[in-house]
Amino acid sequence: MTVTFPQKVLPWLLLLPQLLVTAIFFLWPAEQALEQAFYQEDAFGLSREFIGLENFADLFTDPLYYQSMLTTLVFSFSVAIVGMSLALLLAVMADRIIRGKLAYQTLLIWPYAVAPALAGVLWWILFDPSMGPIALWLKAAGVNWNHYLDGNQAMILVVIASTWKQISYNFLFFLAGLQAVPRSLIEAAAIDGASPFKRFWTIVFPLLSPTTFFLLVVNLVYAFFETFGVIDATTKGGPGQSTTTLVYKVFDDGFVGLDLGGSAAQSVVLMAIVGLMTVIQFRFIERKVQYS
Amino acid sequence: MTDVILEKVGKTYPNGYHAIPSVDLSIEEGEFIVLVGPSGCGKSTLLRMVAGLESISTGELRIRGERMNDKEPAERDIAMVFQNYALYPHMTVYDNMAYGLKNRGMPKAQIAEKVSDVATMLGLTELLQRKPRQLSGGQRQRVAMGRAMVRDPKVFLFDEPLSNLDAKLRVQMRVEIRQLQRKLGTTTLYVTHDQVEAMTLADRLVVLNKGKAEQIGTPMDLYNKPATPFVAAFIGSPSMNLINANLTEQGVKISEALTLPLSHAFRGGIVWGIRPEHLEVSDEQNADFALRIQAVESLGAETLIHGKLETESGHGEPLVVRLSGPHLPDINSLMWLRAPVSHWHLFDANTQQRL
Repeated sequence: MTVTFPQKVLPWLLLLPQLLVTAIFFLWPAEQALEQAFYQEDAFGLSREFIGLENFADLFTDPLYYQSMLTTLVFSFSVAIVGMSLALLLAVMADRIIRGKLAYQTLLIWPYAVAPALAGVLWWILFDPSMGPIALWLKAAGVNWNHYLDGNQAMILVVIASTWKQISYNFLFFLAGLQAVPRSLIEAAAIDGASPFKRFWTIVFPLLSPTTFFLLVVNLVYAFFETFGVIDATTKGGPGQSTTTLVYKVFDDGFVGLDLGGSAAQSVVLMAIVGLMTVIQFRFIERKVQYS
Repeated sequence: MTDVILEKVGKTYPNGYHAIPSVDLSIEEGEFIVLVGPSGCGKSTLLRMVAGLESISTGELRIRGERMNDKEPAERDIAMVFQNYALYPHMTVYDNMAYGLKNRGMPKAQIAEKVSDVATMLGLTELLQRKPRQLSGGQRQRVAMGRAMVRDPKVFLFDEPLSNLDAKLRVQMRVEIRQLQRKLGTTTLYVTHDQVEAMTLADRLVVLNKGKAEQIGTPMDLYNKPATPFVAAFIGSPSMNLINANLTEQGVKISEALTLPLSHAFRGGIVWGIRPEHLEVSDEQNADFALRIQAVESLGAETLIHGKLETESGHGEPLVVRLSGPHLPDINSLMWLRAPVSHWHLFDANTQQRL
């Protein structure tokens, strides 16, 4: 549907607030990052020198950068897969219950309303090696939990903290997807002699594939770019580099290490990744499988 | 041999809604039974109870002598064709038909053979590798039937399978379903709200109204001797003319001025009925009453004339007359009609039962 405005000014006026926000908070910083990526700047921002592609050359010869890339991939796929599996399980259960449905669903949606940093702090306290209740239980159960020392444990912690929030979002989509599966298909499968388990894997799950793919992309994008708050509040990228994702490294190198040019170059690489992900998202999701 | 027995089968929903009080029905082997009634009469619920998709609240269901109340749908050896066909959209036609056989652990070679046999019978061989979305409505309908047939079940259940097709295809598929069922000899329970479909398909019809079986019988039984005014109105198109009247010593008193002579022992309020096709055009001397014509529907092969009984007060009962061939009487003119006694249907107005 197209809406035609009688004159040219009003539509631009209506778009102006969003355009301003985009320009000030996205386009301008992006342009700044692009520019800075080609300069070397002193820590106080007093002088800078054009160095061409040297920042990028440094970046791609730095083993720590590749390490961070691997960390990001492990982290992102863990978040996506754990978050989606749990959400699907919860959605299947929510779809089945009849009594107390609304309360159950509302409770499951709540975590989404919690700010990332708060979620991080929450899990940080729960898992604090000296006083966190979960850490103490784990110790009682014989697991020596200390995410300040053990890189794998730190990774587990950030995955849990990031996943927890995302489960709500995934849950909503899976629940909607499940409710869109026609009842008669399940009934036909039941008459065809498929067990409930088999019905799920051969009928329901394939029909959810558009939703699953959409959520995979959304979750990866979330884990890549929107988990800074969680990581900063729980592990600050440590111990060592074990939870330093690409986004956290931009912050760490730029504002802690004060290598503004290198940090800007990393931002430019991230921008390219975002662009690529966006293309993938539109390509595949726009063309998602249509069932009649 | 009796194949399917419903004994005092009733359905009450958890919220207390009494959908079906009690239905008794015994179906012979190979019989084609049609459950027919207006929407909300409980016909689909009854079918789903036989399928095992709804629990049976009271009474008992037996298939080949075995109690089925607590059996899973898969254990009842039935196959169902759904209104929306319920084809698995992500599977090919072949996989749709093979799914039930695979689940029952049939060897692959045997599955392939069965599917190809049924596909040949239904003319689906060319379409086996297609997905449901690449099929037309009629083809989907056929695949749904193929999926039911391939399993060779004891009972076929059809839930309004033709209601999503256009009128022409519906007639064609109706004939096909009947032929296939005859050929396979499988006991069939078929739900529809369309009385023409019901009449043409059924060996016996069950007319349901508010969860009660108003009458069970062959299509001609129901047409000739409807047990209640509901059945009388439901079976036949256009439906029977039904007029509230009184049975007196003189006969059927329709209004102050109009009494149709009849000697009958019953006295009191009745519903008097005659089918539109049984009214005859007559002249003034021999006529039973006159009709003030209000509308004429010319269908070529027949003409439907809608009007009102002509009375002094001008508030006559509406009446439809069906004449064969084309007729073009003037609107608002009078038409003299005769209603032969042999075609009358009389029902007790209180008990709603046939007299």
